[in-house]
Amino acid sequence: MSGDEMNPAAVAQAVEDIQGDDRWMAQHTRFVQECKDAEPEVLFIGDSMVQLMQQYEIWRELFSPLHALNFGIGGDTTCNVLWRLQNGELDNIGPKVTVVWVGTNNHEHSAEQVAGGILAIAQLLTSRLPKTKVVVLGLLARGEWPNPLREKNVAVNSFLRSWLPRLGQTQFLDVGAGFVHSDGTISTRDMFDFLHLTAAGYRAIAKPLIDLLRQILEETPEEKRASLL
Amino acid sequence: MHHIANASLTDKVMSSGDSNPAATPTPCVDIQGDGRWMSLHNHFVSNSKDKEPDVLFVGDSLVQLLHQFEVWRELFSPLHALNFGVGGDETQHVLWRLSNGELAHISPKVVVLWVGTHNHGHTAEQICGGIMAIVQLIKDKLPKAYTLVLGVLPRGKMPNPLRERNAQVNKLVKEAVSSLPHASLLNVDPGFVHSDGSISHQDLYDFLHLTPQGYQAVCQPLHAHLKGLLEKQAEN
Repeated sequence: MSGDEMNPAAVAQAVEDIQGDDRWMAQHTRFVQECKDAEPEVLFIGDSMVQLMQQYEIWRELFSPLHALNFGIGGDTTCNVLWRLQNGELDNIGPKVTVVWVGTNNHEHSAEQVAGGILAIAQLLTSRLPKTKVVVLGLLARGEWPNPLREKNVAVNSFLRSWLPRLGQTQFLDVGAGFVHSDGTISTRDMFDFLHLTAAGYRAIAKPLIDLLRQILEETPEEKRASLL
Repeated sequence: MHHIANASLTDKVMSSGDSNPAATPTPCVDIQGDGRWMSLHNHFVSNSKDKEPDVLFVGDSLVQLLHQFEVWRELFSPLHALNFGVGGDETQHVLWRLSNGELAHISPKVVVLWVGTHNHGHTAEQICGGIMAIVQLIKDKLPKAYTLVLGVLPRGKMPNPLRERNAQVNKLVKEAVSSLPHASLLNVDPGFVHSDGSISHQDLYDFLHLTPQGYQAVCQPLHAHLKGLLEKQAEN
């Protein structure tokens, strides 16, 4: 948990344009511009798990009405998210809740390093946006059958469960219940490629998430002041 | 050196497997550690055992994602279509999948092939060679099927070398299939590139993958074209 310089997963890093069409930077630039125009109450930041959610009907149904912005980029690691947050994607906005969902793509890092990277993101958010509540979503299981990446993601979640409560304003939410069946398999009905969620998969995770978001958003400043008296 | 007189354009772009990596059947190596590519392939093989699709969609993430949106149920389920798309697949991966069981148990009338944009490091000629190798394989395995190759879409927010490469792939493939009675290239780009050279995230949400709105624009004409092909196949 200490020594961010020693945790490679907590080092901010932009994605290099290897392919040649500069799409990562173009997406980042668009998000920075959105910060100038929008006043989101909820900010989603992360990888393709966040990004793809906006393409399904469920986004318009449940999350748009909460004035939510989606800053997900497919393939992102904790390092990439850290870089984006440090380079404009938090400018001029004051969301009440920030939802963080990242870590499954950190293939070069250990579970402990990944959790450290996610913690660094939560710390950055609470320091840049003092009024925001941070919700960190647990990493989902992946692969059709049990495999080392499932174990790794479970370990990441385990670290997060014990570390995040020590950080103020931050909580961990596990949305992965039910995806792994009793025979150890994941169904393509929930994850069409055993990693990315289908519409039905998103519906399943949206339920606990939307409940928590509504609960947080309904805590008005007046209620908070009253509770302190 | 033996020169073949009147070598057709088809011969020039259809490189042999050994010299063109894009045309050499190659499975995806499981680098990440969860075996997802092979799982999907196995699913497609076993799924096909009790299905009788009239149309088979095969290719990369652009095919795969199509299956997740309403447009699939609206336009392609009624045509009895199966979807064998795998995200990230390059031509050599699709070639391997089709050579290793995904065509073994079905006889679709039309195969819709959409692949090539992820062939990073390959030239337009190599990618065309890969696509044509797939067209030939489908002809060998499904002699009565028609192959509809979809043009690779432009990508990136602004003009860039990959747009040029993809346009060149489409040009080469169009020429290569022009002499074939069992295949053609359909340009499905409805005009995603605006007059200032930009692509909108409302059509391609990450400047590569289609939004549901983008799919509607692509699929309406594709659907009409497919229906025409199926009717023609029925007449034969």
